[in-house]
Amino acid sequence: MDDMRIVERTVNTKASKISAKGVQVHYGATHALKDVDVEILENTVTAFIGPSGCGKSTFLRCLNRMNDTIPSCRVDGSITLDGENIYDPRVDPVRLRARVGMVFQKPNPFPKSIYDNVAYGPKIHGLARTKAELDEIVETSLRKAALWNEAKDRLASPGTGLSGGQQQRLCIARAIATSPEVLLMDEPCSALDPIATAQVEELIDELRASFSVVIVTHSMQQAARVSQKTAFFHLGNLVEYGETGQVFTTPQDPRTEAYITGRIG
Amino acid sequence: MTDAAVPTARPHRASLLADDARMKRRKAAETRFRLYGLSAIAVSLATLAIMLWTIFSDGVSAFYQAKLTFPVTLSSDLLDPMGNGNRDEMVKVTTVGYNKLLTRAFEAELAAKGIDTGELSNKDVNALISKDAAGDLRAMVLANPAVLDTTITAKMLAAGRIDGYLKGRVTMQTAERDGQISPEQLQFADRLIDAGILSSQWNWDFFTNPDASDQRPEAAGLGVAILGSLYLMILVAVMCVPVGVAASIYLEEFAPKNRWTDLIEVNISNLAAVPSIVYGILGLAIFINFMGFPQSSTLVGALVISLMVLPTIIIATRASIRAVPPSIRDAALGVGASKMQMVVHHVLPLAAPGILTGTILGLATALGETAPLLLIGMVAFVDNYPSAPVEGFLDPATALPVQVYGWAQRADPAFIERSSGAIIVLLAFLVVMNVAAIILRRKFERRW
Ligand SMILES: Nc1ncnc2c1ncn2[C@@H]1O[C@H](COP(=O)(O)OP(=O)(O)OP(=O)(O)O)[C@@H](O)[C@H]1O
Ligand SMILES: [Mg+2]
Repeated sequence: MDDMRIVERTVNTKASKISAKGVQVHYGATHALKDVDVEILENTVTAFIGPSGCGKSTFLRCLNRMNDTIPSCRVDGSITLDGENIYDPRVDPVRLRARVGMVFQKPNPFPKSIYDNVAYGPKIHGLARTKAELDEIVETSLRKAALWNEAKDRLASPGTGLSGGQQQRLCIARAIATSPEVLLMDEPCSALDPIATAQVEELIDELRASFSVVIVTHSMQQAARVSQKTAFFHLGNLVEYGETGQVFTTPQDPRTEAYITGRIG
Repeated sequence: MTDAAVPTARPHRASLLADDARMKRRKAAETRFRLYGLSAIAVSLATLAIMLWTIFSDGVSAFYQAKLTFPVTLSSDLLDPMGNGNRDEMVKVTTVGYNKLLTRAFEAELAAKGIDTGELSNKDVNALISKDAAGDLRAMVLANPAVLDTTITAKMLAAGRIDGYLKGRVTMQTAERDGQISPEQLQFADRLIDAGILSSQWNWDFFTNPDASDQRPEAAGLGVAILGSLYLMILVAVMCVPVGVAASIYLEEFAPKNRWTDLIEVNISNLAAVPSIVYGILGLAIFINFMGFPQSSTLVGALVISLMVLPTIIIATRASIRAVPPSIRDAALGVGASKMQMVVHHVLPLAAPGILTGTILGLATALGETAPLLLIGMVAFVDNYPSAPVEGFLDPATALPVQVYGWAQRADPAFIERSSGAIIVLLAFLVVMNVAAIILRRKFERRW
């Protein structure tokens, strides 16, 4: 583990943004998540790590109710955003998702122009009153996602014509264009080269100033580089959750240690 | 995997340039497979070619028609006895009056050109003019009374037998046994051809005339059938597309997956396989007997055909909606689009080419459908054009395939020729629709 540079950022005691208690997820008969308790803090990057199939994506998708789209999926327990239960029947998932944005593992730009990709969210949520305001949102979002320089001359060309890494940054721009409070990222760098990865990581660090970021990653180095809090999942259980430095240097659970030293997974 | 024995592959050192036995067998199998494919295509192409050849060789002549060209003076003494050009008065002159005018003009032209009528009586001479010609002339004069007292060069339909003679269907031998024509009349026709009075000409009337009775095949046209088919297409498209697309979207995107939706799904697939004649009986029972819609009307025809093609359209639409990648749906929902926005903004535009192709294929089936239309009475002899939409949808009409069927039933071989001609028109319609499908598909398809 000594090749890993662990960010020694002090985590100030911050207000909790999302609080999950006793979350259980079933896909039909499969029990995918067992009794997970996690507090996501404001202005913090939280990393979810764990071997494949342990339920990281499942938990992430619970946080903005993307699991609603899977008919066999059942979520129990409570998840609150700013103290309000997001699974309350009165909650419209549409409004929730405007506040909790998501970037998917596979880049999935709309088959529309780069501009329309970014402008879509602000448009449907009525965030811009004029064309100029919309232009501005598009530009800042693309700048934040480190895509502006490559895209500014081809805003009208199709988003699907970009390279894989550019597409992923476009998806990030699309997600932050609605100015969410929480940004969920499911392995956002799995399609990126090291340079783009570094850019995205830098971006995540900047986003921390305004959002909470939750990132699923298979790269321990990445988790260590960008996050302040780390949660380790194993076979549907949340095994360990703590400050990143502590989880990587002095893991409390033997399974965590085994995973980060490369013995399971 | 520390010290597990790695299987040592025996090095295979055959030359790359020479094939071994296995390779030869594989190549032979491949060649055979390709030959099967080629011969299958060859057989279907040959069938198509034979079919087209028969239809065209029988049918192209329907687009030409024997016509007699001679000057006619439209004297008002005969056509406008009151002499005031009042249309209401002129209507009183029937085709008999016009016929007299025509035969006189014809005889005068024969005399002027000095054409020998041989042994033929005047009646036999005038039998060369179609019985429809007087009616045609009357309609023309009534439509434009200003032509009264002028001399026009009339192009009058020749009798069906004369048309047949020009097209080789009627010969001296058949004429001897034919009550409607004699060899002498045919010889006379030969002299008319030489004098330039009788000739075969392009026949627009085939596309515009309504059907005609058994005695007058030369006047029969596709006007009512083309109009009827057009009305049918419009109505079917208007009824099927919204219903089909809405049903497909609901079933694909909103319906819960349970036993009921499974049942609906099975039923839709079954309905797509129900023979069309069954829909005809259904239409007869429900739309005509129970709901009392007018028989033979395009509305009833369109309702029946809509029921028939709806399952096909739903199946095609659902398939193209399903083909939209789930990641696009996730992306839309992920930025906070509602389900409806996801469907309208993202799924439908991507599915549009598929929906369009399915719809046009459905419409093409509808265009060629005959059996249910026979049952609801669209095979009736209709010689009035349906009026303009919307009331026209309730008027009796016929449709192209039904007209093909109707003409193929008639005894006179002249109708067989027209039947083939109608098939050519029907095929042309289908080609136009398929080309439209391809063009629209290209237009909507985004390759990004
Ligand atoms: N749509 C689904 N239907 C049924 N089971 C599912 C579905 N999605 C996930 N699962 C199951 O839930 C468990 C957790 O899956 P999840 O996708 O959350 O894993 P993950 O930790 O994200 O893995 P990876 O790192 O490979 O992405 C797995 O056992 C998986 O088989
Ligand atoms: Mg995952």
